Amino acid sequence: MTAGKIAIVGAGPSGCFLAQSLLKAAPELEVDLIDRLPVPYGLVRYGVAADHQGTKGVARQFARIFERQGAQFHGNITLGQEVTLEALQTAYDAVVLAAGLMQDRALEIPGGDLPGIHGAGAITRALYDHPDATPLPDLGPRPLIVGNGNVAIDLLRLLAKQPEELEGSDLGPVATGWLRQNGVEEITITGRSPAAQAKFDTVMIKELSKLSGVTIHVEGAGSSEDAAEAKKIEAVLALHGHATGPRRVTFRFGLTPLAVEGDERVTAMRFQTTAGEETLPCTSVLTAIGFCADGVLPRDTLLAGAQDAEAGVLAPGLYATGWFRRGPRGTIPENRADAQALATRILAELTPDPDKPGRVILSDLDARVDYSGWTRIDAHEIATAPDDRCRAKIASREEMLRLAREEEKTK
Amino acid sequence: MKITILYGTETGNAEMLAEDIQAELEGDHEVDCLNLSDMGAGDFDPSRFYLLVCSTYGDGELPASAQPFAEAVEAEKPDLSAIKFAIFGLGDSEYDETFNFGPKTLAELLQAQGATQVGERIAHDASGPDMAEDLAFPWAEAVVAEAAELIGEDA
Repeated sequence: MTAGKIAIVGAGPSGCFLAQSLLKAAPELEVDLIDRLPVPYGLVRYGVAADHQGTKGVARQFARIFERQGAQFHGNITLGQEVTLEALQTAYDAVVLAAGLMQDRALEIPGGDLPGIHGAGAITRALYDHPDATPLPDLGPRPLIVGNGNVAIDLLRLLAKQPEELEGSDLGPVATGWLRQNGVEEITITGRSPAAQAKFDTVMIKELSKLSGVTIHVEGAGSSEDAAEAKKIEAVLALHGHATGPRRVTFRFGLTPLAVEGDERVTAMRFQTTAGEETLPCTSVLTAIGFCADGVLPRDTLLAGAQDAEAGVLAPGLYATGWFRRGPRGTIPENRADAQALATRILAELTPDPDKPGRVILSDLDARVDYSGWTRIDAHEIATAPDDRCRAKIASREEMLRLAREEEKTK
Repeated sequence: MKITILYGTETGNAEMLAEDIQAELEGDHEVDCLNLSDMGAGDFDPSRFYLLVCSTYGDGELPASAQPFAEAVEAEKPDLSAIKFAIFGLGDSEYDETFNFGPKTLAELLQAQGATQVGERIAHDASGPDMAEDLAFPWAEAVVAEAAELIGEDA
């Protein structure tokens, strides 16, 4: 009997949960996870906040996929460069796109491209030492955050934290220095929806009540008859008047962005409110309004022509899962459920072809970093962590590759 | 002893720990491992010892896979007076206000139907330095030994 061969593009949480689920149901499968970075786990490493180490604990499950369940990691492989999607489809019985969405959705309003506007993804990639990050910008004393999802709250919390509140995180020295010295005096966070329908999770709001150096104001939280909505409003209102330090944080709701104002760079943002237009002065704008595809894969075309988009079936033998399929919504567990459902579908449809070569088309690629390469990077990062950090992340791709390829030294 | 490990999970961490505990115990015992989503309120067997592993999700809620079970127990109110269980929690002290509310809710639910808890409700902290299994294995051994006296070694 021939074991089925499955390639998963993207070794983030969705790809990993899919591999886990496939191998649990059918341990004989050859499951390969391909990632453009030399390191696995995607959003768990680069999107989950540096001060949410508990959430990153799912990485222990993912390590098992490679260490016990027989999946292989093929890192530092970019689709279209080292290997094409067509080549994967020829070599494997099934190919799954789990590449996520990492490009910040643009603020499509007048002035939306002024200097001083930064996407949350770009900022967090820089904060979390992503190798392709752009340098951390100067925000000035009064940044304004646009968006009310969990990403916006992560950004707010990190900007608002005192250096000692980052102990135990894996925030690196560059990001730590930037947070300490960025001169932020006041952070305004604006949401288009009323507080009742804000996308953030209540637990993310409650966490802000532990901030030790801020004074929080909540304006226009409104009210609701709905129990879940009322709970959300109550959590936001509980922050109002929280005063532990000088850095001001202001929550505003029901503000629809109209324009970003400024000549050479951002000086203010204009909104539509139920009471008319309102302009809020600011020194930078941080957008946390969702993510979109970066164009490496033709996502729109693939989804538009999908055989069963809701189930993640793009074409015979070609599938999609996680944010790449669903759009930028849903937490890690929701995407786990999505991946588990897709695993069932793939297993039902899989017809292994003994002539498919599978992973041998990847094994010999010069660029490839395998799982043992990642374990050398991982061990180095943990061993070199300073006392107040759990890990010292390597930010440079070259250094990652050097560590990954370092021969294991004899003792 | 016959042991059933029941897990309530949202991200899979509790499932992984449950499987680890199963592997640890099955040399000496007959051990099943079951997702709470596959457990009916009336499925309890007094000859078995139940080890529960449960996380907390969201704002102190039960994890998704435990919710239908909890609703069924509340609705059906099975007589669990002959049932012995122990419970291990997975939590994250970043969210200290609701730390380990999931396992607490689950334990109280079973106790309300007459079930007896063996040992203390232990909690692992994902933001702490320990590995979950380093706390869970000694806990499992201790509660299994204690249960053996109550249920009988040969049960």
